[in-house]
Amino acid sequence: MNTLSVKHLSIARKDGSPLLGPLTFNIEPGEIMTLMGVSGAGKSTVLNWLIGASQPMFEVNGEGWLGNTRIDTLATEERRIGILFQEDLLFPHFSVGDNLAYALPAATKGKAARRDAIETVLNSAGLKDFYHRDPATLSGGQRARVSLLRALIAEPQALLMDEPFSKLDTTLRQQFRQFVYDRVQARKIPTLLVTHDAEDIPAGGKVLELHAAEPSHA
Amino acid sequence: MAETLRQPVSSIALTPANKPKTETSKISVARLLAIAGVCLTLLPIVPGLLWVLWPAFNMDVWHALVTDGQFARALISTLSSAIGSTLLSLMAASLIAIWLYPGKGWALAQRQLPIFLAFPHIAFAIGIAFLIAPSGWLARGLANLLEWSSPPQWVSIRDPYAISLTITMAIKETWFLLWIMATLLGEQAISRQITLANSLGYSRRQVWISALLPQLLPRMGWPLVAVLAYSLSVVDMAVILGPSTPPTLAVISWQWLTDPDAMTQAKGSAAALCLMILLGLLIVLARALWWWIKRLYRDPTGIRKPGRIFKTRAVSGIPVFIPGWLALAILVLWSVAGGWFFPNLWPNSLSLKSWNSADFGPMLTALWIGMATVMISLPLTLAWLEWGSRKHHGWLYAPLILPSLPIAAAQYHVLLHLNLDSTAIGVIWSHLTWTFPYMVLVLVGPYYNFDNRYLCTAQALGHSHLNACLRIKWPMLMKPILAAMSVGFAVSVAQYLPTLFSGGGRFATVTTEAVALSAGSNRRVLAVQSILQTALPLCAFMLAILLTAWYSRNRQGLK
Amino acid sequence: MKKRLLAAAVLAIAGTALTHTAIADEKWDAIEAEAKGQTVYFNAWGGSENINGYIEWASAEVKKRYDVNVELVKITDAGEVVKRIKTEKEAGRNTGGSVDMMWVNGENFRALKTNGLLFGPWAESLPSWQYVDTKKPVRKDFSETTDGLEAPWGTAQLTFIADKNTVAEPPRSAMELLEFATDNPGRVSYPKPPNFHGTTFLKQLLSELIETPALLAEPVDADSFAEVSKPLWEYLDKLHPVAWREGKAFPANNAEMHQKLADGELKLSLTFNPNEGANLVAKEQLPPSAYSFGFTKGTIGNVHFVAIPFNAKAKQGAQVFANFLLSPEAQVRKADITIWGDPSVLDAEKLTKEQQAVFNKRAPGGLSEAVLTLSEPHATWVEALEAEWLKRYGSQ
Repeated sequence: MNTLSVKHLSIARKDGSPLLGPLTFNIEPGEIMTLMGVSGAGKSTVLNWLIGASQPMFEVNGEGWLGNTRIDTLATEERRIGILFQEDLLFPHFSVGDNLAYALPAATKGKAARRDAIETVLNSAGLKDFYHRDPATLSGGQRARVSLLRALIAEPQALLMDEPFSKLDTTLRQQFRQFVYDRVQARKIPTLLVTHDAEDIPAGGKVLELHAAEPSHA
Repeated sequence: MAETLRQPVSSIALTPANKPKTETSKISVARLLAIAGVCLTLLPIVPGLLWVLWPAFNMDVWHALVTDGQFARALISTLSSAIGSTLLSLMAASLIAIWLYPGKGWALAQRQLPIFLAFPHIAFAIGIAFLIAPSGWLARGLANLLEWSSPPQWVSIRDPYAISLTITMAIKETWFLLWIMATLLGEQAISRQITLANSLGYSRRQVWISALLPQLLPRMGWPLVAVLAYSLSVVDMAVILGPSTPPTLAVISWQWLTDPDAMTQAKGSAAALCLMILLGLLIVLARALWWWIKRLYRDPTGIRKPGRIFKTRAVSGIPVFIPGWLALAILVLWSVAGGWFFPNLWPNSLSLKSWNSADFGPMLTALWIGMATVMISLPLTLAWLEWGSRKHHGWLYAPLILPSLPIAAAQYHVLLHLNLDSTAIGVIWSHLTWTFPYMVLVLVGPYYNFDNRYLCTAQALGHSHLNACLRIKWPMLMKPILAAMSVGFAVSVAQYLPTLFSGGGRFATVTTEAVALSAGSNRRVLAVQSILQTALPLCAFMLAILLTAWYSRNRQGLK
Repeated sequence: MKKRLLAAAVLAIAGTALTHTAIADEKWDAIEAEAKGQTVYFNAWGGSENINGYIEWASAEVKKRYDVNVELVKITDAGEVVKRIKTEKEAGRNTGGSVDMMWVNGENFRALKTNGLLFGPWAESLPSWQYVDTKKPVRKDFSETTDGLEAPWGTAQLTFIADKNTVAEPPRSAMELLEFATDNPGRVSYPKPPNFHGTTFLKQLLSELIETPALLAEPVDADSFAEVSKPLWEYLDKLHPVAWREGKAFPANNAEMHQKLADGELKLSLTFNPNEGANLVAKEQLPPSAYSFGFTKGTIGNVHFVAIPFNAKAKQGAQVFANFLLSPEAQVRKADITIWGDPSVLDAEKLTKEQQAVFNKRAPGGLSEAVLTLSEPHATWVEALEAEWLKRYGSQ
């Protein structure tokens, strides 16, 4: 796995007033860096820029690198960066298995092989026999797990998480957090976590705290 | 720093990027295609329109129009019927929604809606005329009670103030607006808002008036404009129910535009232009009114007016459909009637003669033209919504808010120059002008409310934008897409003027047939064609509902 | 020498006569040959199933006999078709037009003719022309000469319909009609001009009320029109207050009048087809007690025609179809009241006894009395009367 690097990232509003930056940081393979800050500080804007979603309200400058590949000029689908949102966003018209199959790279060929790969992943997460289930019938915790599995089975080179635990209740939250961190670290994926909650910060993890820039005209 | 709350669904900011340089070329190709589709469908009308309206740019013509003895009265009945029916239908739809949503009655009403949405305007008007005319069912009922031997001298249809036309159009458009509301209310957030406001101590009525209508009305802006435009420029309904001395401006314009005399035609162009100007003025007026109404909502007083709980609410959704059911019933009865003279309530005999000798060719023609039109409109619609420009959306609705007569004439002129008039391609293209915008109109709400993080997720999993649309976004939007397709089909089936003009009269559909027959006197044959005209779109709506149910049979998340 | 010259002259004359028919035959054969496989788009008013049914039969026959396909294009108003042809001409479409043949007469024919929108002359070289009764006004259409630009198809005469149960003694003149209306307030009306039947009703009244009927055969004179037509407006000013809905509204067409007659809303209806009453009774659209009648001094009659536009694609096919429509077989079938009941334009004496018998068929509801035919005023009167009527009564 490669390091995820952000170089000289600066974000400004369309009217020219600066929002954030310049910002430079590296996330090593298997490392989970936490991005914190009050609402409006630009946390989500950083994520959106990294994933390649358009930001009509902002002017963004800077470079994103995965190892030796510059990624901020690539299309979202070419970046090989996974993303987890607050909501699980399982595709409601697919079964659980199809959700994973849609994520599984085409390199795994053949119906049986693909099915095997997915079943293995499901088993590993305690979701045996869930292949044909309707996502809508799963519990919140199960859905969250499937959602992460889906992101991981696509073999991302980096992972972005936008407050992925905030919708879960306390017990579930701890379990799922551990579930995520174990897997991310085992696969050595550089991960950027955006959160409000200090409890989400993994032990010994780097934290980047964003402060809202004063609007220039204020 | 002034903090803005995070949007609960930050979909708008999450349209996948077109910023990165390598991506630019690919995206703009898709975008170009979307725009090219729109241009191909709608742009050719512009030169045609210029040609049709050109004669109106002449002061002599306007002088002749304004001094025409029919003009002033026609203008008044046009305005009163258009404004009246639009306001009435908006009020009726709002009241019904306030009364019924959320609840059993709303579900009941929604189940009946497709039938009446599919009920073509002209068939409905014919049914209503059968009901309320001095020799209609209503009068027959009274005649039996009061022992009249000849029909009363009522002024129940074609009244000089266009009241029957206004009310009939209002009923028809109420169904349309209810349906628009139903699609908007289908969104989760709104039913939660009701619960929330209820918990603050506000009654259902208050919640509706203070919280829901101010949200819904702006989003119903374009549908309302479409209703207004339709009622301003309606010809077929106005001929059946509207006043005749003089008729409404749209009818006069139509008569003049089809007149061989050049000066009369020019007056028709001017009248058509006049309709457009009226529409523009009314929209400006409505916007001003809305701005003023919105001020009334500022600074809530906090006064709670607890409402009573209505036990009969479920039933009260039905009255709005009674005219529809009755109109349908009398059409069916006439289609199987033998001799049936006043004041008999029931035909002397029933027979299937009219059905046995009915011509089903027009139905098949309407079917294939409608299907072809929808199949072309669908990719155009999806491409436009996904890659087209949101800023220039309004232009797309131009055909819906312009009187259809000059547009149909414009299309015909364009086709004539391309040597494509009287061909199937020409007819289908002329239908696209209306089906495409209508499908966009139906789909735009659900489409723009779609949580684009799904799309983002799919792309992050390594799939291209198009693949993510094909596999994720569009299948998730299957329900509104099917609804849009059935509306598109219904719109195509209902086209009269474009089918007649562009097809050189060679394509007989259920609609051209019904209008041609309405000039004859055989109510039975007319009833048969009206029923066929209703059946086609109705089947499309039913099919859409069945397909949706089948498609989401194992997926609760889609329901 | 003189004798020989004479003989030569006689021979020459006979020769030209011979070659003339021979050439005509040859020409017609060529037309028939060219017509093979052509598709004729026949634009005709489509508001009656009887008429549509008849046209369907005729189409099937010409397909069988001459391999000509006829597609009936149902229209509501011939004016629309005139407009379409005119638009095509303006757009430079001089060949391959969308209309091959149309059903027309009166002011629409005049509009086509004066704008140079017609093909021809062709009508009088049709083989079936020999059967046409030239004593009928088949060469004049609303006083406009046809010049062979249209072929006669049928005749029409303004006929009134009433119900025996409600009207035992019908009015027999314009003045009696006014009395009748006064005695039956709200039960008399006429289709709103410029509807064809409504305008004809006005012409009927005018022809009785005008001081100098001869003026009607001339093109209308703008200066004297007000004076000449004055009796008509005075009459209508008296009729309207006692008419249906006090003359503030009018039925859209005569079909609506039939319906209102059947419902009892009106006591009189009118038609251009003397047999229409019989048709309506047969189809249970009018009660069996319905009957037809005319005015003592006669009613307006005319001939309706088929014409071929200048840019028609299937001109030969159209002529073949027109020729068939004019043939004794087709004309007799058309006159049959169980089929359509439209009176023939042929000379009965040139037909067989059986064919003639069909013409004399009568059925309940139809016209069973002889009514004098008054000729149509010149086509220009139509526009003048309609404009004046609209000005006076179009907006109330």
